[in-house]
Amino acid sequence: MYRKYLLPILLLLALSLGACAAPSSDTTSDTAGDSGSGAAADSGGGQVIIIIPEEPASLNQYLAVAAIVRQVADAVTGPLAAVNADGEFVPVLAAELPTVENGGVSEDFRTVTWKLRPDLKWSDGEPLTSDDIKFTWETLADPASGNVLSLGFDLIESVETPDDQTAVITYSEVNQAYLQQFLYGILPRHAAGEAADMAEWDWNRNPVSAGPYVVSEWNSGESIIMERNPNYYLEGRPYLDRLIFTIVPDSGAQVAMMAQGEAQVQIWPGETRDVYDAQVAGQATLAEIPGQWNMTIYFNHSMPFDDDPGATPPHPVLGDVRVRQAIAHAIDYDTILTDISPDSTASTSPFAYGWYKCDLERPYPYDVDAANALLDEAGWVMGDDGIRVAQGAEYAEDGTRLTVQLEGYTNFQPLVRLEEALVEMFKQVGIEGTIQNDDFSVIFGSYGDGAPRKLGNFDMLIYDTSLTLEPHATVANLYGSDAIPSADNPAGANYARWVNADADAALATAGGTVDIATRQAAYCDLAQLIADELPSLNLFLYTEGYGASNRLSGYEVNMWGSLTWDVQNWQMD
Amino acid sequence: MTDAIQTIGKARTEPAINSPGRMVLRRFRRHRMAMVSMAVLGLVMLSALLAPLGPYTPTEQNPKNAFSPPSAQHWFGTDDLGRDVLTRTLYGGRISLVVGLAATGLALLLGMLVGAIAGYAGGLTDNLLMRLTDAFLSLPSLFVLILISTMLRDVPILNLRNSVVMVVIIIAVLSWMWPARLIRGEFLSLREEEFVHAARSVGVGHTRIMFRHILPNTVSLIIVQGTLAVAYAIIVESGLSYLGFGIQPPTPSWGNLLSTAQVYALRAPWLMIFPGLMIFITTLSINHIGDGLRDAFDPHSVH
Repeated sequence: MYRKYLLPILLLLALSLGACAAPSSDTTSDTAGDSGSGAAADSGGGQVIIIIPEEPASLNQYLAVAAIVRQVADAVTGPLAAVNADGEFVPVLAAELPTVENGGVSEDFRTVTWKLRPDLKWSDGEPLTSDDIKFTWETLADPASGNVLSLGFDLIESVETPDDQTAVITYSEVNQAYLQQFLYGILPRHAAGEAADMAEWDWNRNPVSAGPYVVSEWNSGESIIMERNPNYYLEGRPYLDRLIFTIVPDSGAQVAMMAQGEAQVQIWPGETRDVYDAQVAGQATLAEIPGQWNMTIYFNHSMPFDDDPGATPPHPVLGDVRVRQAIAHAIDYDTILTDISPDSTASTSPFAYGWYKCDLERPYPYDVDAANALLDEAGWVMGDDGIRVAQGAEYAEDGTRLTVQLEGYTNFQPLVRLEEALVEMFKQVGIEGTIQNDDFSVIFGSYGDGAPRKLGNFDMLIYDTSLTLEPHATVANLYGSDAIPSADNPAGANYARWVNADADAALATAGGTVDIATRQAAYCDLAQLIADELPSLNLFLYTEGYGASNRLSGYEVNMWGSLTWDVQNWQMD
Repeated sequence: MTDAIQTIGKARTEPAINSPGRMVLRRFRRHRMAMVSMAVLGLVMLSALLAPLGPYTPTEQNPKNAFSPPSAQHWFGTDDLGRDVLTRTLYGGRISLVVGLAATGLALLLGMLVGAIAGYAGGLTDNLLMRLTDAFLSLPSLFVLILISTMLRDVPILNLRNSVVMVVIIIAVLSWMWPARLIRGEFLSLREEEFVHAARSVGVGHTRIMFRHILPNTVSLIIVQGTLAVAYAIIVESGLSYLGFGIQPPTPSWGNLLSTAQVYALRAPWLMIFPGLMIFITTLSINHIGDGLRDAFDPHSVH
């Protein structure tokens, strides 16, 4: 019976031996450089072959759960406004962005007027009008449609269409995210169908498009081929005649295709840049930018394992702000960026990107002496074994060892590596760190499941978090004093159990307006409070991007958009 | 006459030298592979014990020197944080050997108990115990593990969660069923043998029959099971840490060294080769030792 478990061992050994030979096979592909040039550059603007690991079920983004859908579907999607690489909204089908200044948004923020560009057409030649905006709302506000994106269509009371270019949207309550309302595209009334049948629409796999491309062929399990949309609103775009999305699940095969020039774009390569560029042998590069995943440590302010998820009593170790500050001082941020997590860029606040970006000077930079001084002052004296012990500490009984546990998720080696490095850094100032990583389902479980972060049964959480384009709900839930998880508020996410009146005030300011500048300033105030009080500490952003052929140009990696958000600008030489 | 008696006395003591225990030992000593394997396993254990004599500690980091291939300073190379792989492999052996041997022992003990009682008693007892075994076999271990992990989460006082003891118990609980079924089968057939009837007819108690008369006859089976189970336990230990139990980093075990190495298989193959080789050598030796023991215990053996 046990014999079957010997096989994996032998396989592992075989693999490890095989691995020795792998690098040499890479170098042989140098000579294969110009053999298989996939792009037939002679026919007009040429074509690009894009490797995707899985097949999208449909190109209707409102039905999409899988991330791959948007990556493909943006090539056939016409939004009213999109978000550029700087996280700023830019008009697409809309003539301009509605704001309070230009009269597009009413004084009470509840009426938004969108103006379409003149003479817009769908890919089948039918005019694209404000009635299509109205149809989009009618469809998506209908629960029977099966729309999975919560964009606030249910907050819309009415859509008036005084003329073909104008849609006047009235909200029942203020929607701060009104610019995102039509980010995932307009649906055509003449070519779609009943709302209740949305999942069954033919349109989903062969959309009449307002984007740069239209689907010409869909070979299930193999490829999706798109041709340029002759009625695209931008004159002379897209440049490329054809996009071929080819479905290749195996990452080894993907890299081989890139290395031999058989494909020009590879989404989600899952390698660090130096490794990837070496693998594709000069044919391509990893085009990457700081991504949205912000590595964050949350410090529990409250006593763990006391059957009380609330903010009191204080955590015996981390309840004292001086200990949190000492931990922040003990972290060698430069070493982390250069050696531990080289594919990352520094982040100093939760607001590390987007229109709400707020970079700060670290109030507690790497400084071992300062960390030691703070711990001495806080009543933690150095013990014989190099670990500090409480002696007159604020919340800990005398004799308590200065031990903290880092808790993250399993199966992600870069996180383990970071944790192990942090434990070693803590040791330098007499703090004993231990690591407890849990399965995703445990650490990110619900209150009812008894997830440790929901019940407050942890010392320090460490994982990467992200904010979306409209951050308010997330931020208010992470840092608002009314968002501490409890039986009454199981969805609360103030895991640090941080209670701060100034933070609550900043959140109230940011949540009370649609004015971008006011909100940005309020979030920055909050970021400063977080940096000083340390409910959480941000370390870095992981980079993200895709593999792009050296012959491809005009593309821009956009963390807010998909791979194809700017596909109309791509060119091949 | 006295001579005759003395001769008889002498003749009687002769077989005593050839007692079953001695014969087993002698047969085992003649099994060359088994003896070599004993030496190899002894060496592996000794190296794990002597690990602290090395120049490095298992957690000492030097990120600037990460991923350096095997060299005079680092015989097995360094890992992703610049730690000495040789040191970590030796320290890892301490945990993996203990886990492998102890978990196997416990699983065999549990399995033996259940299998012996079920097979000997038969009838309703057998039926109940075997259905229990089936139930354990059919439980998807992944979900059981996640469940246990969540449950133990809130018992910080015991602090057993990631201890070696806990790992041993969990692996044993997940793997006692196979030996139980095999031993039960043996008992079912052996209990009908004449020597059992003979013992019963002279009034030997059930417990004694089970453990003194039948059990020794299943030794070869148990040993073969046991040697194979050690490798299983060492590998399962690494699977446990994927689920957030088990030996947590930075403490090394062969299992978690291997699972970390998978990520860097192309970049730093030595991370995989050395712990993999250690598991390979260890399980191979244990298998050979098992082979030797089985042959030695086999009453039909010609040696």
